[in-house]
Amino acid sequence: MSLPAYTGPVGRIWHAAFIAICCLVFIFLMAPILVIVPLSFNAEPYFTFTPAMLRLDPEAFSFRWYLDVLGIGEGTGANRGYEWAFAARNSLFIAFFATLLATALGTLAAVGLSRTQMPFRKPIMALLISPLIVPIIIIAAGMFFFYSKVGLAYSHLGVILAHAAIGTPYVVITVTATMVGFDETLIRASASLGAKPLRTFFRVIMPLITPGVISGALFAFITSFDEVVLIYFLADAEQKTIPIQMWSGLRQQISPSILAVATLLITFSVILLVAVELLRRRSERLRTSAVT
Amino acid sequence: MATVQQPIIIDGRPLKEQLARAERRKKYVAFAMVLPLLLFILITFAIPIGSMLFRSVDNPRMITLAPQLTAELSEWDGQDMPPEEVFEAAVKDFKLAAEAGTLGRIATRVNYSMAGARSLIVKSKRKFKNVTEGPYREVMIKADKRWGELDTWKTLKKVSVPYTPVYFLNAIDRDLDGDGNIVKQPSEKRIYVKLFVRTLWIALLVTVLTLILGYPIAYLISTQPPRISNLLIIMVLLPFWTSLLVRTTSWIVLLQTQGVLNDLMVWMGVISDDGRIQMIYNLQGTLIAMTQILLPFMVLPMYSVMKTIPLSELRASQSLGANPFITFFRIFLPRSIPGIGAGGLLVFVVSVGYYITPALVGGAKGQMISNQIAFHMKSSLNWGLAAALGTILLVGVLVLYWLYDKVVGIDKMKLG
Amino acid sequence: MDKSAREAYVSFNNVQKSYDGVNLVVKDLKLDVQRGEFMTMLGPSGSGKTTCLMMLAGFETATSGDIILDGDAINDVPPWKRDIGIVFQNYALFPHMTVQENLAYPMQVRKVSKSDIEDRVKKALGMVQLDGFAGRRPGQLSGGQQQRVAVARALVFEPKLVLMDEPLGALDRQLREQMQYEIKHIHENLGVTVVYVTHDQAEALTMSNRVCVFDDGVVQQVAAPNILYEQPDNAFVAQFIGENNTFLATVKEKNGDQCVAQVDTGETLTALAINIGQSETKTTLSLRPERVTINPNAGEFKNVVSGKVKELIYLGDHIRTRLELCGQDNFIVKVQNAARHSHLLEGETVQVGWHIEDCRALDAL
Ligand SMILES: Nc1ncnc2c1ncn2[C@@H]1O[C@H](COP(=O)(O)OP(=O)(O)OP(=O)(O)O)[C@@H](O)[C@H]1O
Ligand SMILES: [Mg+2]
Repeated sequence: MSLPAYTGPVGRIWHAAFIAICCLVFIFLMAPILVIVPLSFNAEPYFTFTPAMLRLDPEAFSFRWYLDVLGIGEGTGANRGYEWAFAARNSLFIAFFATLLATALGTLAAVGLSRTQMPFRKPIMALLISPLIVPIIIIAAGMFFFYSKVGLAYSHLGVILAHAAIGTPYVVITVTATMVGFDETLIRASASLGAKPLRTFFRVIMPLITPGVISGALFAFITSFDEVVLIYFLADAEQKTIPIQMWSGLRQQISPSILAVATLLITFSVILLVAVELLRRRSERLRTSAVT
Repeated sequence: MATVQQPIIIDGRPLKEQLARAERRKKYVAFAMVLPLLLFILITFAIPIGSMLFRSVDNPRMITLAPQLTAELSEWDGQDMPPEEVFEAAVKDFKLAAEAGTLGRIATRVNYSMAGARSLIVKSKRKFKNVTEGPYREVMIKADKRWGELDTWKTLKKVSVPYTPVYFLNAIDRDLDGDGNIVKQPSEKRIYVKLFVRTLWIALLVTVLTLILGYPIAYLISTQPPRISNLLIIMVLLPFWTSLLVRTTSWIVLLQTQGVLNDLMVWMGVISDDGRIQMIYNLQGTLIAMTQILLPFMVLPMYSVMKTIPLSELRASQSLGANPFITFFRIFLPRSIPGIGAGGLLVFVVSVGYYITPALVGGAKGQMISNQIAFHMKSSLNWGLAAALGTILLVGVLVLYWLYDKVVGIDKMKLG
Repeated sequence: MDKSAREAYVSFNNVQKSYDGVNLVVKDLKLDVQRGEFMTMLGPSGSGKTTCLMMLAGFETATSGDIILDGDAINDVPPWKRDIGIVFQNYALFPHMTVQENLAYPMQVRKVSKSDIEDRVKKALGMVQLDGFAGRRPGQLSGGQQQRVAVARALVFEPKLVLMDEPLGALDRQLREQMQYEIKHIHENLGVTVVYVTHDQAEALTMSNRVCVFDDGVVQQVAAPNILYEQPDNAFVAQFIGENNTFLATVKEKNGDQCVAQVDTGETLTALAINIGQSETKTTLSLRPERVTINPNAGEFKNVVSGKVKELIYLGDHIRTRLELCGQDNFIVKVQNAARHSHLLEGETVQVGWHIEDCRALDAL
């Protein structure tokens, strides 16, 4: 930031202090992510930088934990590679179907909620958003009893339904946000040009809200992908996912392959984040160009 | 001048009626679009939670497992020793339960309210096996003299009612004594009120910490040109998108006594090798990790309010003679309060129900109410108490949610 | 004569401004504003008017050049020490403060005593006829009332210079005219110097002592309203101010302050040589519609051409007549609706004529 010419010494000192504080906060925010990546390449089974690593000795770095995770290394117990591969497959499977369900239901509902004629808009919205607010432990306990009673516990379907339920608020929020800038006259224009409601939905509404839908879907996906507590309550070994594998690893005795998995997950979330950012910008562009 | 309005008629119907019909149709269409999700959420989410909450007062176990005994106990006035029928019902029900293999569950239930009841009841399986006729009272007292005590029966009567306030009372460190009076738990069992207070305290601390740390960077981001602010936003969002477990893992790696931070300080000579600081598995660990994890929830709402404060207002203030400090405190700060409210409430609501992070880095002192609920769900299997604690927590969260709606509006909730 | 009358109160000396380091938004601006003057900056959207005001107010720094206020360069003076009242384009009233608090604000930061503040706020509200609105917040006022509060706030701390950036842009026509009158009135009563920005030319002409016409970051002409209208220096100003007929023509000969030019269809016309190049260069001939006579007496005008009536629009006091002549089918004549005037018919061929002095040869657009 360049300061205007008239800034006095006091102003300059304040400005410098302010920038320093902000830098510290950003370090605090990023530190956990920045530390874990290099440590995952540690050749020794320690959770700290060895002197050799600090000297940047190439001998001190290795891919052994990654090999373990991929099942090619010499890992034992819960860290045998196929366990992680199994968990990864489960995670992706569950997250994919939960996202699909959450996105389909959430998008439709968001479009309905954005109609001015929608009755009981406020309380319904409050209910639909509430999975985001209700503490996860309460959700888990409730689902545990109910799903056991109806025979959904310890099944993939049960977990998918549970994850879809906690993923829908994200879709509803992002899609309604895109609908806020939506010009209702477009729907009338489409109708006046002879399009039936369904056609209007797919040809006019959908293309304009797609960025919101996709970013909502990504939120729902990451929510499911990162979820531990519901799995902990509702699933057994057959539905084991990556987070639950990490969770049990962390609670018992933590192994460096967790750091390798963590690094892989960070890479994954960076990719998703960039995707969402690009979408958000695109939708902003679409919206501003629609106005002017 | 008043004129009588003639209703407008089109195609033989009043226009007003036709309009109302069209409106109603649109209403149905909108509602039909919301309906699938509404049903889905009701069935997979709301009803399960509702039925779980019901468990906090529901007390079906004795009724289903020992039906004769519960019936007889409800006849008994609870003042003097119960009549022979009660003893007879007890023996018969315990025998039946022993055959069905459910005696252990009865024992567990009674044990919640009376220490030692488990062994007393389980023992009866062997003792009553060959008893076929009365007087049952003597048989029972012979088996264990505790059956001759009034308090035992009072406890049994208490646990046999269909709906009970006991779980809620336990959740606030109270209990019912034999005469149905509300009394304090013995002091070593008084843990929940303290835990609720600690939970609120942790949530408040986390909210304040995220505010203190988040305000400067939200301000910084909102005053930067788009190129830089977009980059900074990504830096805020990246932790938001990174797996919670990954971040918690990182904090363990950073903060544990053999961890990166301690090593660094030893290496720099700030502390000696045996003076390593315990920064994790205690309250401090929970606070540090939760603050970092929830910081984006604070920064994003504040940023989205701050960026709507028009530059021209700040310029107006300066042109009217206020230097940047006055401008900040008189114009910018008051204008950013809605953002502080939104972020603060959000962080507070989310942290009150936090579970994973305290479980992993909190040690004994850094546990919150959710952890206790999980304990009763998974380990002690005292589900009624878990439900009661959960109900209290949920009511608190819903009040905050309502407040959030009043202050911010739920439809203003934004993600990124 | 005292100092203030001789020296400009505000002057821009060769000021340049670029936001991105590539495009100059303000190019080599030279402009003097006298003490007590009402100077209006007029120009199309994006021509750099707001940028000039913001440089004067201290919110943007000039890329090069000096801005002088009352004899001193002010580049190093922070905005809050410049004592310049500003009415922002969007008012910029503080929504979290009442009208009273908004007006008191500049005096509070100057540590004026409480009772003084109250007096002056009351006076300022009286001046803009908003007594009784002190307790309201900006959100509870109509657009016109907000605008008056903004004016009052810019004046209440008695600055010597007031900048107004399209303050009436959002108002309806009636309110706008009323406010124009009020601002003018306040200016005359208080004797402050006003730099006013608008892109409404009627507003500029009615309110100002002088008008500065801007285009693309360059000052086209600075002059009193009547001069600007009657004697535009170049084709842009002629076009921008009032209605105007133009012909593109080629300079044939130049004698003294007159010249002869030939339009593309062959007719030659004589005009005042204001802003033209050598022979055979292009020029724009400019002529106001109300200075044209239809079917003039023989010999009355030097310039007479024939044209065909294409369209008549009845406007009450005059009839707007569109003609096709000299290959131009958008030639407008305002025919007075007076008793002795003959009525024209669409499709009729007529003679039109005008004085040499009313036709100005300007730069080619
Ligand atoms: N902060 C900025 N960064 C980059 N370019 C800018 C900035 N502000 C203005 N500009 C550009 O400078 C030029 C002049 O803008 P300015 O706001 O001065 O125009 P204006 O004459 O006030 O227009 P209007 O009548 O529409 O208000 C425009 O081309 C505009 O795009
Ligand atoms: Mg402007």
